Parts: sequence; C-alpha cells; structure tokens
Amino acid sequence: MTPEIGHILLIVFLVLSFAGGFLPLTSVYLKNQTFEIPIKKLAFSLFLLIFLSFLSLVYSFLIDDFSVAYVSQNSNTNLPFYYKFAATWGAHEGSLLLWILAMNAWLISFMFLTKCSDKNFTNAVFSISCQVMFSFCLFTLLTSNPFERILPIPPLNGADLNPSLQDIAFTIHPPLLYFGYSGLMIPFAIAVAAMLFNVDTKEWAAYSRPWTLLSCSFLTLGIALGSWWAYYELGWGGWWFWDPVENAAFVPWLLSVALFHSLIASQSRSVFGKWSILLSIFAFATSLLGTFLVRSGILTSVHAFALDPERGVFILGILGFFVIGSLLIYSLKDFKKDEVKPYQLSSKEFGFLLNNLLLVILAVSILFGTIFPLIYEAATNGKQISVGAPYFEIILFPFALALGLLQGIALYLSWGVTSSFNFLQRLTLESVSLFGIILLVLFILFDNLYLSSFATIFLACWIVAGTLQVSKKRNLNYWNFLKKRLAVTFAHVGMAILVLGVGVVTSYSIEKELILTPGDEFEFGDQKITFQSIEDTLGPNYFSKSANIIFEDEKDISSVVTEKRTYTPSGQLTTEAGIVTEPFQDLYISMGDNLEADIWSFKVQIKPFIRWIWLGALLIAFGSMLAGFNRIQRS
Amino acid sequence: MKKLIDILPLVIFVILIGVLFSFLSNKNNQLETVLIDDTFPKFSLSSLEDDSRLLTQLDISELPALINVWATWCIACRVEHPFLMKLKRESIIPIYGLNYKDNRRKALELLKRDGNPFEFSIFDFEGRLAIDLGVYGAPETFFIDRNGVIRERHVGIVDDKIWEEKFAKYLYE
Amino acid sequence: MNRISIFCILISLSFGNFASTDKDYDFNKDAYPFESEIKEELFYSLLFELRCPKCQSSNLAGSNSPISNDLKREVYELIKKDKSSDQIKTYLVERYGNFIIYNPPIEPATYVLWFGPLALILISIFSILFFRKRQIQ
Repeated sequence: MTPEIGHILLIVFLVLSFAGGFLPLTSVYLKNQTFEIPIKKLAFSLFLLIFLSFLSLVYSFLIDDFSVAYVSQNSNTNLPFYYKFAATWGAHEGSLLLWILAMNAWLISFMFLTKCSDKNFTNAVFSISCQVMFSFCLFTLLTSNPFERILPIPPLNGADLNPSLQDIAFTIHPPLLYFGYSGLMIPFAIAVAAMLFNVDTKEWAAYSRPWTLLSCSFLTLGIALGSWWAYYELGWGGWWFWDPVENAAFVPWLLSVALFHSLIASQSRSVFGKWSILLSIFAFATSLLGTFLVRSGILTSVHAFALDPERGVFILGILGFFVIGSLLIYSLKDFKKDEVKPYQLSSKEFGFLLNNLLLVILAVSILFGTIFPLIYEAATNGKQISVGAPYFEIILFPFALALGLLQGIALYLSWGVTSSFNFLQRLTLESVSLFGIILLVLFILFDNLYLSSFATIFLACWIVAGTLQVSKKRNLNYWNFLKKRLAVTFAHVGMAILVLGVGVVTSYSIEKELILTPGDEFEFGDQKITFQSIEDTLGPNYFSKSANIIFEDEKDISSVVTEKRTYTPSGQLTTEAGIVTEPFQDLYISMGDNLEADIWSFKVQIKPFIRWIWLGALLIAFGSMLAGFNRIQRS
Repeated sequence: MKKLIDILPLVIFVILIGVLFSFLSNKNNQLETVLIDDTFPKFSLSSLEDDSRLLTQLDISELPALINVWATWCIACRVEHPFLMKLKRESIIPIYGLNYKDNRRKALELLKRDGNPFEFSIFDFEGRLAIDLGVYGAPETFFIDRNGVIRERHVGIVDDKIWEEKFAKYLYE
Repeated sequence: MNRISIFCILISLSFGNFASTDKDYDFNKDAYPFESEIKEELFYSLLFELRCPKCQSSNLAGSNSPISNDLKREVYELIKKDKSSDQIKTYLVERYGNFIIYNPPIEPATYVLWFGPLALILISIFSILFFRKRQIQ
C-alpha cells in the first residue's frame, strides 16, 4: 500500500505544482485577484507532499518491499539498514525524488527568509520554481517512477545496492550535491523574475546572492566528499579524475563561483546586471546539463546511472524549455540602462570582470573538452579520442595561475579606481617569505624540493598573503578588520590551502606496485612495509580477503587493513584501501590481484599533503556558507 | 549590433541542444578498429591442440575467414558458440580461434564437449597477439578477406543479426 | 543497448572468475623493477595517461582488469627496451587508436580543443577593451 500512497502523493504534487506554476503569474498579468492563491501555504503543502512521498520510498526500502522494482534493484535483505536508507537515493529514480525535495526546501527557505519589496516578484519566483519542480515531477512519473511494482510475483530478494556506494561518504555525498545543483534553481528563478518585472539590478542581486552562495557551498561539499570517496574507494589513490561526471559537477561549481562574485559587483555598484542574469541562467543550465550527461548514457563514466536514451530526451526537453525560454526573454527584452559609475581598469569592478571571464571560459573549456570526444567521433567518421586528466590539467594550469594571482590582489582593490598599487611591494614581500618558510618545511619533512611544485606553492602563499594582509596590522585594529571579512578570509585561505595541497601532492607523491606474500617486507621511501598476514573476513553482505599491513618508520609503527571484498548478492568486487593518515602525509596501500596461492599484488603510495585538498575545500564551503547566512541576515 | 549580442547566448545554446540531441540517437559502444584495411598482424604462437606446433599468420590460409577471440572464462563466448557451430556446419566461412588468456586443458575440454567450430585455435596465453589486434574483451570477431586484410570487427556476441549486418556483405565481394 | 550491457556484465563476471592461472611466478617484490628512476617515473606516469580499453572509465593505474595488466606488462617491456614515451604511445595507438591515450593528439581536428580556450580569452579581452574604448568616447 505504501508505494501506492507515495505514488499518489507524487501525482498530487504534480497537479499542485502545475497550479503553482501558472496561477500566481496569471493573477499578476491579468491583474485579477481571483487567481491569487496563498503561495506560502501552497509551498508548504508541496513540501509536505514530496517529503511524505520520499518517506514512503524510504519505508519501502526499510521493510524490504521487493515488489517495488526500484527497491528490488537497489537493495537486499542483507544490506545494513543505514545503507537501505541511503539506497533510496542510490540510483536514478530515487535521486530524482530527493532532487525535487531539495528544490522545494530551497524554495521554502527563500520565501521565508528573503523579504522582497514587491509581492509580485516573490510570486514570480515561486511560479518559476514550481514550473521547474513540475517538469521534474513529470519526468519522474513518466520515465522513472520509483514506485513501480513488480506484480504479481515479486522477487524474493533484491539485487543489492551498487557495492561501491555502500560507504559512509557516499551516503551523504549525493544529497549534498543534489542540494547544490537544485539550489541553483533559486538564482535562476530570481533572474527570470527580475527580467519579467524590471527589477533594479542592485535589488535582485541582493536577493540572489545568499542563495547562490549557499548552493555553491553545498556543491563544494558534495564535490569534495565525492573526491574523498574516489580516493579511498576506487583503489588507486587518485582524488580527481576529470571523469565526465566530475566535470559535470565542476562546471556548475565554477559558474556559481563566478555568479556570486559578479553579484557582489551588481549589488554594490549596479554593474554587470545583464551578465549576472546570463550567468544565473547558465549556472542552472549546466546543473541540468550535468544531469543529462550522467543519466542519458552518452558519455562513459565511473558513476554512470542506469542508462536510458528516452530519459536523455526528456532531460534535454526540460533543459531546452527553461533555458531557451529564459534566453528568449533575455534577447527580446529592452533592459533599462542602470546608473553605473565609471570604473577604471584598476578597479575592483574590473577585477570581478576578469575573475568572471576566467572562470566562465574555464567552465566552457571543461564542458567542451568533456563532450569533445563525441563531436570528434561524429566529425571524423568514427575515429575516437579520449580527453582526460592530462589535457584538463594543461588547460587548467594557466587559468588557475591567473585566477590565483588575481585572487591575491583582489581584496586590495577599490571600487571605481584603485588609487595606489603600493601594496604590491608588501604583498610580494609577505608571500615570498611565506614561500620560503613553506619550502623550508617541505625540505625538512621530505628531504627534497621539486621545481615543478614551486609555481603552485608560491601561488598558495600569494593568495594567503593577499587575503590575510598582515601588514594592515600596523595601522588598524587587525582582528576587527579580519572579523568583518571572516567569510571571504575563510574561503580564500581555503582556496590557498587547496592549491598548496594540490601542488605538493602532485610533485611529492611516490608509488609502486608490489608483489608480496605474507611475511614479506619492502623498503619504500622512508617506510618499511610488512605484509603481515592475510585473512578471510565476513561482512553482513560480503566476504573479503583482508591483508594486514604494517607501515614502520623511525618514529612510529602503524598497522592498516586493505581488503578485497566480494559482495554476495551481485558478485561484484570492491577494493578497500588501507590508509594511515599522518599530519603531513597519507600512507596508502590497496590490494590488487591474487596472483597465486598467497601471493598478492599491492599498490602502495605515499601522498604528502593530500588531506589539505579536502581541508581547503571544507574551508571554502564554510566561508561561502557563512557569507550566505550573513547576507540572509542583512537582507 | 546591440541586439545581435543579446541573441548570441540563445543561438549558442540552441546549437548545443541540437548537438547533444544528435548524440542521443547515434551512440556507438564499440572501440574503433585501427587495424581495419590492414593485413593480419604477424605472430608466432603455439596451437591450442598441439603444444609443439608453432602457428604463424601464414597458417591462416583458407580465406576469407573469421578470427574469433574466445576463452573458457568468457561466459558470453558460450552464448555465441552455437552460432559459430552453425557457421561451421553449413560451411559458410572457415573460423580460426584465438584462445585468449586461457587454460589449455579447460579449453580443450570445452571444445570436446560443445563441439569445435574452429579450423584450429591459436593459444595466446599472455594475450600478445590480442594486443596486436587491439582486443579488449572476449568474444571478439574479425573478418579477414581473401587477400588477408582485416575488413570488419565486432566486439561481443555474433549472431544471425550481427552476421547479416556486419559480415555477410564481405563474403560475396 | 540492452544486449551490450548484458554482455558487459557477462564479461566482467567472467573476468572475476579469472583470478589465477597455472603460471609460475618467479616473483620480485617490486612488481615492475627498473634499473633507473627515470624509467620508473616514466612507467608510472604513463599508467596515468593511458586509458583502460575495457573499463573505459579509468586509467591503467586505476584498473585491475586482465587487459590493463597485459597493457602494463607491454608498457613495462617497452620501457625496458629503452623505448621513449612517444614510441610507446605510438605503439599502443597503432593497436587501440587514440582512444587509449587520455591526452588527445594535436591535429587539425583537435585544434579547436587545444587552442579554443586561448582564443576565447583573447577574443573576450579584446572585445572588452574595444567596448570600453567606445563607451568612454
């Protein structure tokens, strides 16, 4: 019965969101009160509907109702209950429900927290969001109904959740990412509403800013968690693979970062109004496009969903409808000229412009690189190429360099014109001394300096120095100064830490593939690795070979376990890496093949500073969340 | 001029949607075959049936022929097996086997039990010839024309439909 | 579509069973011993740059499939024979196509990929400066 209830709730949601999608707008345009509906109440009921519908799916998972096709495909009686819970969003159908739920949560938060001066404006934002949710709900019901039953004879047991998803990080990673993606609906709706009602740039930018920041924060968290998961679960120690799915998340992230920077300028100086509107549209478009790329199956990827071209057509339809619609409004509309104070090339405005230019072109390049193999195959009549990590790293580097250099001076710039660039001296002095200190530390830690890492390390120092501006200490109350810009300090220092982590880990990592039998020792870097023993272990829904490994250096001894798991329901194999985390490095070992009897291959790596990448990402997420909440309070 | 710039994003986006839409309909799942229109690579490997007999590309003498990459650990190969038997039975085309990374004893047992559609099988334990052919899974089938040139390749199970679609046309050239 | 996915599952299942064979391992603890560090670095960096043709969503470093182990062995032997990075890539491309390298070649069909970002930057910087000049006038 429960699945049917969930299904019906979803249908009611569809009907109500349709009503919400056009009634408020109609009443505004006809200036007729009869169509007016209490939108706050409607928003709440929509939320309740989708929430209960979602809960009923969760319930079907928890009670192992395998007559529900989606449950039987993604769960199993032996699955631990927390994974049953997480399996709700473990595949395509359920994740769509979560997506709609997230959109609805954003919409409610917007309606209650952002006080708009014009009621019509709120109505429009509500309507546009309802239209988006309606289309997603229609998509779910028509092509991906999670409540579909297998009747009359339901299977006795389910096929199990994809084993690589049976993991703590992976239970939280999708919700965070979906909240990030779906949050971009709010800036999109605000931008369209702003066009419809000729709202002042300053005003709508103020409405949009907190929500862009918060979405960006969620995206950051989601991406960072995904990267961490890939690091320990995929078994080869990579933390970013430039896989289509990763790129599909990275592109909206870049655009949301560009957007909230551009919104700062729009809100403070009325500049870039049209640009911010375009960015809002495209940030949302790329989050849908990412969904399309992942779920239509046109690209091969690690994280591919069950593939179905029909779904691809539908998502493309949704994408086309909203984006073409809003771009049509954009191209037809006569924007009234904002009162803009002139600005020089040395101004903060121009800094934001450069920042946006770099971020957007980087995003376009990454998107283009991601779909380029398809274009190439079509253009060359079947010849194939791969565009992967080496290409993207080459492309990313100059952009990162330019963005980092800009980031270092960004906080020194002033609106209109920056009267003096004297700060450059102090900035250079500070960053060079910091650079020296870090090199010294690296040399003490690893006995080695790599020329290849100097550029990135220096960039990190430059950003930190430019963000903290320690030299300001002399002439003003430094702590007050920092407290006022706490959010940006966190976010920018986070970026620097991330850059430092990336720079060090790419140059200082060492790795080797080993063939060992229990009792074997191997000298690797300054570590002595001992393959102590191998045992059979049994989990709730898997059996595994676990190797006990000891890492030993002059100071400490640590033991870890790396496993090769075979999940019983599906027979799928996963590798669980054994990782020793020290403050400055990770010792990483993962099991390879069983070559013969007790002889196993291993992959062992030492990855200095890798944790700093995720620490940096956390700080960025924290900074942007703080900024988002600050903005909500102020408005 | 001003208007033109305003329409630009729309135009770009519509093109993007169109391109993506076209990708949806023609999705190819197979890797390209570099060797097409090349002669069969040189090799020197022992025969599956007889350890001491050394085979080379010259032993593939009855042309046109199919080269079928198979192994006992490959479940899909067993699904394909009856079709290969049918080709053999009806003398449509000679088939040469490439026994890929397999156990010799198990492979011979399988052929004894299910029938042997191959003129002979090349025993490629280390997958060396397979790499020269660009093989990345089993089963894979190559069509060699009467001049010893590779004309077509299929990754996956060959059945009547695939045979008609991809291979049959080369037979009557 | 469906048949192909079933086929893939079958393949992966069958590779799962293909764990050990009757080969004797006269093994060295270092799976890929080299006489020089430069060669070793080249080896591991190539593993990152080469794509596994079967799993398709990982590089050779990240894949344990039999085909990628074979390709690793091939790369190893080529490096031992003093082949350069380019020679090894050419060798593999002759067999598997450019698909196998994550770094696309620079050729007329990929100019737009390689030089597009730079062109975009230049175009936008020039147009910004151009429009500013006009606005000021």
